[in-house]
Amino acid sequence: MNEEKTKFKTLKDYAEDIYKCTKCGLCQSVCPIYKETGMETTVSRGKFTLLNGILNGKLKFNKKIAKNLELCLGCKACYDFCPSGISAEEIITAARHESSKINGIGFIKGFLLANFKSNFRLGLLKIGLDIYRFLFCHSEGFSPKNLSNSANSQMDRFPPTLLRMTEPFKTIINYLKLFNSQLRENIKYRKLKPIKPQSRLNIVYFPGCINNYVNSSVKNAVLIVLEKNGFKVNIPKNFTCCGIAARSSGDFKGFSQLAENNLNQIPDDIDYIITDCASCGSVWEFYPDFVQGKLKEKAKILAEKTININKFLAEREIYLPENAEINKKITYHDPCHLKRFQNVFEEPRKILKQIQGIDFQEMKDADVCCGAAGTFCISQPKISKAISSEKAQNILNTKADIVCTSCAGCKIGLSQGLTEKNSTIPIYHPVELLAELYLKDEK
Amino acid sequence: MSEFKTNINDKIINSLKSILGNQNVLTDYEDRYCYAYDATAIGDALYLPDVVVLPENKEQICQIVKIANENNIPIVPRASGTNLVGGCIPLKGGIILHLSKMNKILNIDKNNLICTVQPGVVVGNLQQEVSELGLFYPPDPASLKVSTIGGSIAQSSGGPRGFKYGTTKDYVLGLEVVLADGTLLKTGGTTVKNVTGYNLTQLFVGSEGTLAIVVEATLKLIPKPEEQQVMLAYFESIDQAAEAITGIISAKITPATLDIMDKNTMVTIENFHHVGLPTDMEAVLVLEIDGFKESVAVQTQQIIDICNKFGAKNIRVSQNQQEADELWFARRSAFGAVARLRPNVLTEDAVVPRDKIPEFISKTRKIFDKYNLTVCIMGHAGDGNIHPNVSLDLRNKEEAENFEKAAEELFDTAIELGGSLSGEHGIGMLKAGFMKKALDENAIKYMKEIKKLFDPKNILNPGKIFNE
Repeated sequence: MNEEKTKFKTLKDYAEDIYKCTKCGLCQSVCPIYKETGMETTVSRGKFTLLNGILNGKLKFNKKIAKNLELCLGCKACYDFCPSGISAEEIITAARHESSKINGIGFIKGFLLANFKSNFRLGLLKIGLDIYRFLFCHSEGFSPKNLSNSANSQMDRFPPTLLRMTEPFKTIINYLKLFNSQLRENIKYRKLKPIKPQSRLNIVYFPGCINNYVNSSVKNAVLIVLEKNGFKVNIPKNFTCCGIAARSSGDFKGFSQLAENNLNQIPDDIDYIITDCASCGSVWEFYPDFVQGKLKEKAKILAEKTININKFLAEREIYLPENAEINKKITYHDPCHLKRFQNVFEEPRKILKQIQGIDFQEMKDADVCCGAAGTFCISQPKISKAISSEKAQNILNTKADIVCTSCAGCKIGLSQGLTEKNSTIPIYHPVELLAELYLKDEK
Repeated sequence: MSEFKTNINDKIINSLKSILGNQNVLTDYEDRYCYAYDATAIGDALYLPDVVVLPENKEQICQIVKIANENNIPIVPRASGTNLVGGCIPLKGGIILHLSKMNKILNIDKNNLICTVQPGVVVGNLQQEVSELGLFYPPDPASLKVSTIGGSIAQSSGGPRGFKYGTTKDYVLGLEVVLADGTLLKTGGTTVKNVTGYNLTQLFVGSEGTLAIVVEATLKLIPKPEEQQVMLAYFESIDQAAEAITGIISAKITPATLDIMDKNTMVTIENFHHVGLPTDMEAVLVLEIDGFKESVAVQTQQIIDICNKFGAKNIRVSQNQQEADELWFARRSAFGAVARLRPNVLTEDAVVPRDKIPEFISKTRKIFDKYNLTVCIMGHAGDGNIHPNVSLDLRNKEEAENFEKAAEELFDTAIELGGSLSGEHGIGMLKAGFMKKALDENAIKYMKEIKKLFDPKNILNPGKIFNE
């Protein structure tokens, strides 16, 4: 216990930040959860008041407060808006850590986190998913037919009577659709001929656990695009999950173990760590605070070297084939962990607009959270779905053929909303479209 | 569940739950703890409500108020809780009526230029909605991105545009309110002209939730000005800036906004936001001119000439919307910047006749200097409404006491100069003790009689406006 105290920042370390909330209440205007609940307890101002009460000894960490602390997406929207510049995300995460020591983190979350922490269990999951995919999912490519059918087409394998069932079954079916949409593989890997001599940059690619164990489509796309542009990519074997879910649930010990492992996999002399998922990218910024000794220094250096694939590509002259195009209307959803944590939002748009044939249409509130927020969609399904539903409506209003985003978590949020609205708009990573373009070019 | 401060008991809680549903009645200590404050810095004081309710329609509010009245339970309406004078703080416990779920725009009537809204509609959202139809709802409190119409009506709030367009009171045509006995009362109507008996609408506007609870409002809209231009004019002395203000007004020009910020404010904004404000100037005027394109161009030139005549050192004029936004950003970040100086901010809201502004600003600074308090002075020079923003740490007892003393001297000064306690924030609990300074005895007597008539049991936001 004492050892832990010295290791991680505690609520006390944030006492001044919490106290300096002027209670102006501006956070209410941007908080997606407040918009759904309308309750003061769910917005940052209310949470700071509770945490201040705990620091003053007027309140104690109990189940009620643990529940309130759960009601934060960690989307950082209020941070941008806070006149006093207080980072609710950081403080609430620290509070969850302390609360979890008293109240635990809950059975479902605990179970999920335990799985994320074990590559062996994730490996078993992968086997299970592969069998499921083989039985129930079409192999999906990028063709107009598949685009229009997408998730629904996967459902064709279910007996039609099942589909005609009423509400409770619909919910189950929707979950299955959601599940299937996550398994849909847009891009299959193929070795393409590089257009340039190999770059001497020493690049490590951190694919994250979704790419490694659930759906490797984005990973395939990243490899195709980087290789085509002459970049050699190195993927150390023993990477684990990035740990984002552990951190945001307050399981700091688990997060620091994952951080240590991932940091240890990376050689010292690299130029870049490339990530494709917004969440998997933002953790590298957190790692220095969660490891000790020499590794801390290394973590600081690597945090500087971490770059999102969108940014890496947008900063360079990439190959744009003249003979291939994608004639689609595209809109883009900004992952919180990419826009507000890594300040990357123009880059994916730049990449998309460069692709021949793409008609880019901005959606309303593109940078508002999708509602998934890691384990939030499991612990608070009702609020999560309401937020996703608004996001989905904004997507549908653009009449886009494809919605792009750069985060495995957001993909869940977007699918959740779109499925509820019976939409089958496919979800792509910008790099998947680029890879698709390259594959077309090669044909 | 802790013990109730008022006559609330489990039976009453159960009736509230049957009216509103369990999820809209909050009784847990932690929930109530989050409704013991608004945006007013009150230090350690804790005024817990006994229960928080979230009604979804006016019929529910009637039922709730009826229960409160029958059982002598205080009831305090609130929405976004951005009040700066403790207006939403449940001084005597009781029921908090949180109106966040009554946030619908019921109707926008383009032909009659009116709209009907629920009290929880956010001012900024209404402005956005009507703007898309080419219409304009001018009142613009600094908190407009969160603050609501209900709160605006309760405090008769204003904003920078008050100089040209007036404040909330000038846009309320009709109200539907719930009285202390739980019955509904409709005032005014849907027309701009309406002389049919006493003007009860205006009686409720600015009554701070002490006479009735607004559950629906019909508001006047106006056509949206074709063009807007923002400019900043820097001066080496407050006096020169004040002369320029007088010069502009006597030239019969009416900018939508005519704000002033002092040196301390500019330095503080620059420290935190780097928006390119000079830190060696004593005052900056922030002007917004709107209207038809041609008229905006003519007025802009006239203002430039006047500012130059009175010694402006530099003038920045927005060339496009983006630049206009940037200049406004500089003005709007003032509060945030002050908030970053020290943990707490207290904003005063005195108002003086326009020609007394330079004198009032210099006296204000002297008062706060005397008490060793950091003050950034900004305000709406066009209408004489000055906001000294005091940055302090209320945990420091000496500072807190010094602020009390300084505030009282500030009010005395404003009244001496022919002004009053509040321009747009209201009286609430913070200034209740100073009412006698600002009003004559008879005025207070009749106000109290009115309160008694509408709320004989004193259940509606008790302890506000008047000390008991």
